[in-house]
Amino acid sequence: MITDRLKKVICETLDLRLDDVEIQDETVANQVPGWDSLNHVNVITAIEKDYNVRFKSIEILKCQNIGDLQNLVNSKVG
Amino acid sequence: MNNKSLWSVWTNHVENKPEGTAIVHWVAGEEPFVWTYKNLLDTAEKFSRIVFEKGVKQGEVCAIIIKHNPLFYPLYLGISGAGALPAILAYPNPRLHPDKFRQGLAGMSQRSGLDHIFTQREMEPVIKPFFEQEKSTVKDLLFPFEFDIDSVDTVIQHEKLDKIRSKVNDDQPVLLQHSSGTTGLQKPVVLSHKAIRQHVDYLGKNLKLSPNDKIASWLPLYHDMGLIACFHLPLVFGIPTVQLDPFEWVIAPDILLDAVSKERATLTWLPNFAYNLMAEKVRFDDLEDVSLASLRAIINCSEPVRAESFNKFSSAFTAIGIKDEMFSASYGMAETTFAVTQTEPGKRPHELVVDRGKLSQGRVELPEGDVVTRTCVSSGNIIEGCNVKIVDFDRREVNAESVGEIAVKSVSMFDGYRNYPEKTAEVLDDDSWFYTGDYGFMYNDELYVIGRKKDIIIVAGKNVYPEDVEDALNKMENIIPGRVIAFGEEDNVLGTEQISVVAETKLNDNNDLKTLKTNIIKAGMGIDVNIHSIYLVPPRWLIKSSAGKPSRKANKERIINKNDKSVWS
Repeated sequence: MITDRLKKVICETLDLRLDDVEIQDETVANQVPGWDSLNHVNVITAIEKDYNVRFKSIEILKCQNIGDLQNLVNSKVG
Repeated sequence: MNNKSLWSVWTNHVENKPEGTAIVHWVAGEEPFVWTYKNLLDTAEKFSRIVFEKGVKQGEVCAIIIKHNPLFYPLYLGISGAGALPAILAYPNPRLHPDKFRQGLAGMSQRSGLDHIFTQREMEPVIKPFFEQEKSTVKDLLFPFEFDIDSVDTVIQHEKLDKIRSKVNDDQPVLLQHSSGTTGLQKPVVLSHKAIRQHVDYLGKNLKLSPNDKIASWLPLYHDMGLIACFHLPLVFGIPTVQLDPFEWVIAPDILLDAVSKERATLTWLPNFAYNLMAEKVRFDDLEDVSLASLRAIINCSEPVRAESFNKFSSAFTAIGIKDEMFSASYGMAETTFAVTQTEPGKRPHELVVDRGKLSQGRVELPEGDVVTRTCVSSGNIIEGCNVKIVDFDRREVNAESVGEIAVKSVSMFDGYRNYPEKTAEVLDDDSWFYTGDYGFMYNDELYVIGRKKDIIIVAGKNVYPEDVEDALNKMENIIPGRVIAFGEEDNVLGTEQISVVAETKLNDNNDLKTLKTNIIKAGMGIDVNIHSIYLVPPRWLIKSSAGKPSRKANKERIINKNDKSVWS
């Protein structure tokens, strides 16, 4: 389950309205408008900053979808 | 067997160094899979036999659409060993709409004459509707990972295959690659055994290749730089290549540095944006125990070379072994097999500071007094077997130190685009000069590439035609039909161009405009294009050209140079 907090960080970074995008566990990063390879790191950095956590690049690489990313965030803050 | 076919070159390596490393298949966080020459060619032989038994005939084009997988390499070689032409196509990005992917396949099929498609089972629902179309040239859809390769006995000679191989002469085609471009509009280029061998020979001499070299690459193999420089060149020359997954690299660019360090690679090729991306995005704490000291050349190609990108990369990675003399540059294209020029290994490419105003007027002049300057980076000397001239609009050679279109000639030149005589006639003259559409100049016998004749946008090494973006947006609700332009805008942070669009709309509410902007990005995603900047403007804002269509050049200048309050972005 993707939290409103994570959705908000993603949408704010990509300058999207929350109502305009659907982000679910199975959603993959590049299905989110504007989340392309060239600004992928901007999104990750914004999440790290918001949650005050640090991801290793290999941890991000192994996330298949946003549900995995949510789980990774949870594991860091939990 | 003919000793000049690529198959015979590869099998010679098996005789000379059977246990030598041919390919290291790299997956982040896992033990790499190593193909020795013997294992690679044994498995390729098995694929050849299966492919032959499945009815693939000599000269037929076999599209390969598969993800990063260790079996890709022997499959590719095996198709070649059966006398057919492998053609690597990009595995579709998940966001690319299946209809758009099929349209792209149909476009390619029409030009390239695809006969067979080798893919993964998960692609079946996407590709099958295309395959079943009446006009499809594709005879079958094959799933090579399901082939029972272990049951193939290669001890007994395969007479029919041996016969095919013995008849190969080096002028015959060996592969089909596509010139860079939007899917479906890419132009098919067929290359011969001889073209590949000669190119490797000349480029190898220029790069001073030695048996101690090792290549590391994240580049996609459907791109000439990945396929020729990082796959065919090492396989022909007999040096190892470390192959990374492009999808993994864009998410975690540090994996290239890790692979270089662990494998002690000596050469790598990168498009210009990759220098910036790695310098900007790789974090030092992800680089524990990483050293890049083994590298002797990092070759910049496929986008205009920017001095600033070298500087950024140098600043970021000097501490882990990067030295200025490792920087290198090249200019190449699929039509000439790959490279036309290459800078001297061991020396940073020359930089030439010129008067920007004079340059825009077509003259190369060193700055005098207080003028705006531009730093141009050399792409190197012309490699053996190639020739370059700079020409004007009428294709007449221009004077020294004048800017013009770059025309090239090469012993490894293609024979024209397959099934595309009208396009071939546009770019290839009777004397075999290929007119590249790129602008540049020669200075002290070195080529400097500075721009393009057409409006093509090069985003991270990928060519995007603005017409495709405009077509996709013109159909959208709330955009006035025909009132959209797309153009490339410099992204100095990433060292590449990004796609910008200007669209006229009658909307004026901020929330509505934001929703429209999101929908524009989604429409771009549907054609696998990332639209980076969107400028929404009121009706009749766009400047028209004399032909009555919105002018890309004039509107780009208006957007970039003026602070127009009616522009919403």
